[in-house]
Amino acid sequence: MVFVSHVLIALLGVVAGIVFGAIPGMTATMAVAVFLPMTYAYDLDTALFLLLGLYVGGISGGLVPAILINIPGTPSSITTTFDGYPMAKRGEGERALKVGITASLVGGMISLVCLWLFTPLLSAAALKFSSVEKFLIILFALTVIAALSKGQMLRGIFAGFLGVLTSLCGMFSVNNAYRMVPSFMKSKMQEGFQLLPVLIGLFAIAQIFQEAEEGMRFKVEKTDNGSKELSTFSLKDFKGQGVNLVRSSLIGTFMGILPGVGGSAASILAYAQTKNFSKHPELLGTGVAEGLIASEASNNGLTGGALIPLLSLGIPGDSTTAVLISAFMLQGIQVGPLFISQHPDTWNTILIALLVCNILMFICMFYPIKWISKIIYIPRQRLYPIIIMICIVGAYATKNGRIFDVWTLLAFGVIGYIFGKIKIPASCYLIGFILGSDLENYFIQSISSANGSLVVFFTRPIGWVIWVLIFASVAYAIIDDRRSKKKAAQ
Amino acid sequence: MINVVYSTEHWIVPKIVIGVLIVLLLAIIVTEGMARVKAGGSFFEKPKPFFIQNCDHMKLWGTLILFAAYIVCLDIIGFTVTSMIFVFLFNILYAGTEKKSLILSIILAVVSSLIISILFGVVFNITLPNGFCTLTLVDLGITIY
Repeated sequence: MVFVSHVLIALLGVVAGIVFGAIPGMTATMAVAVFLPMTYAYDLDTALFLLLGLYVGGISGGLVPAILINIPGTPSSITTTFDGYPMAKRGEGERALKVGITASLVGGMISLVCLWLFTPLLSAAALKFSSVEKFLIILFALTVIAALSKGQMLRGIFAGFLGVLTSLCGMFSVNNAYRMVPSFMKSKMQEGFQLLPVLIGLFAIAQIFQEAEEGMRFKVEKTDNGSKELSTFSLKDFKGQGVNLVRSSLIGTFMGILPGVGGSAASILAYAQTKNFSKHPELLGTGVAEGLIASEASNNGLTGGALIPLLSLGIPGDSTTAVLISAFMLQGIQVGPLFISQHPDTWNTILIALLVCNILMFICMFYPIKWISKIIYIPRQRLYPIIIMICIVGAYATKNGRIFDVWTLLAFGVIGYIFGKIKIPASCYLIGFILGSDLENYFIQSISSANGSLVVFFTRPIGWVIWVLIFASVAYAIIDDRRSKKKAAQ
Repeated sequence: MINVVYSTEHWIVPKIVIGVLIVLLLAIIVTEGMARVKAGGSFFEKPKPFFIQNCDHMKLWGTLILFAAYIVCLDIIGFTVTSMIFVFLFNILYAGTEKKSLILSIILAVVSSLIISILFGVVFNITLPNGFCTLTLVDLGITIY
């Protein structure tokens, strides 16, 4: 009986999470934060079913707008737009959604197994990371975005570093000094620009500007009989994708373990790796199941991974699990190295809750997807005013109600629109923005501990491995750049 | 060697990043210019027009102005009423002023604003912008922003 009520509350969480994830501007983090006060009334087990449901549903729901309207519902579904939207434009929206949902389920399950098996083991490995390795892993992530920029390597890296520079606007936490902030904005810019309004601005508002410029003339392409065959989903879509599925899920899980390296970095890395290993790398980005599988398997792989450092070290793996820490604190439970041995029942509840939530997510999304995918037939000139309103609510609520964050939203909408005009990839810019402040903190920590000597970045064996990865990705990017330029010349 | 001095360390990374950006910018100019020379053009080319050919200036600038006005009014009028007004205006801007379309615009504006306002402001208890049209129902303990 208790289990049934737990499943019902998890169902509520999953459905609410999917709705939050599917609405651009609302994220899994926000869903968990919004429902957190509800858990005051519950015991810890019930609260965990609700919050993990919101987490899994929120991360998964992001694929719906990413595929159907080219707006990532959550930061981690950026790469889902690369292949999902082209498929939807061809009238294969339903097939794309079902591929994405199935990949999400597999990603979630694989990461759950990892969480269960490797929590002590993997967390021990991540524990050995000092600020040097953390800095290098972010540098690695920045070079990896170059591999994604399709023959525009320099512009991709430029956009990434521009994003880093933007994230540094504000107050530096060590000496509380401002930089790159006009004095009249200092009171608002302590923490710099908030991620949520920047993200929604770049990806939602900028698109509305672009479509306004084109005059909002939409032709809603109803799938005719000829293309109906194309749009059906079958397990054949996963033929030959087993390695891709497992690799992407594991990349998501591993990136989830690393504190501060969030879902967007995980899906970008998984996508880039799939591109590297693909037999037809040139097809990625044109609407193939392969890219979709990489993106969705990895961002759901994150859910289990991000919980590993949370439960073993008390360090959140991403922003959503950062909210989860406060849920544990509300219940008076200290997460950290002693958590599993002190609370074995709660540990089991987490595993069961994650399993239940992943299955519920699949059932809630896979079968009614026809109904969900109807979104694409709603005339968008009617949808955009409402999206603008919801984006404003999301931006305003980011820091508990500041109109400044809404202005940030509009400003980054304009910036994103201009980026589209001068061919600066907004996704690279965003990655730089997300990783920027960590990059600075780890860099300063590293050189401070070595009295300013830069040699510190070359003295640790784990660091050498990451250096090799960095050079490999740069080399790959240069070769790929040349290859695609040659192709363009032919 | 980099000297980490407490009073200036907040500028270390921004300076490095700005340096990297300048190098990258130069590299982009040189490589893209050289590519143009190779293709038989000149090193610098005339910039393409910023707006697309059939640019709908009305909708583009209308969106920007309405958006800014929306933000300004939020704090003065309050969320629900402001949203009704501006969702309606955005609908007119994007879908025109035919009679049938006008009625749909009004219905959409009122219903969507009320749903979002009640769902987030009342049910989820999220703070929304408030102004002189904000209603606080003390007896029920709810605020409609």
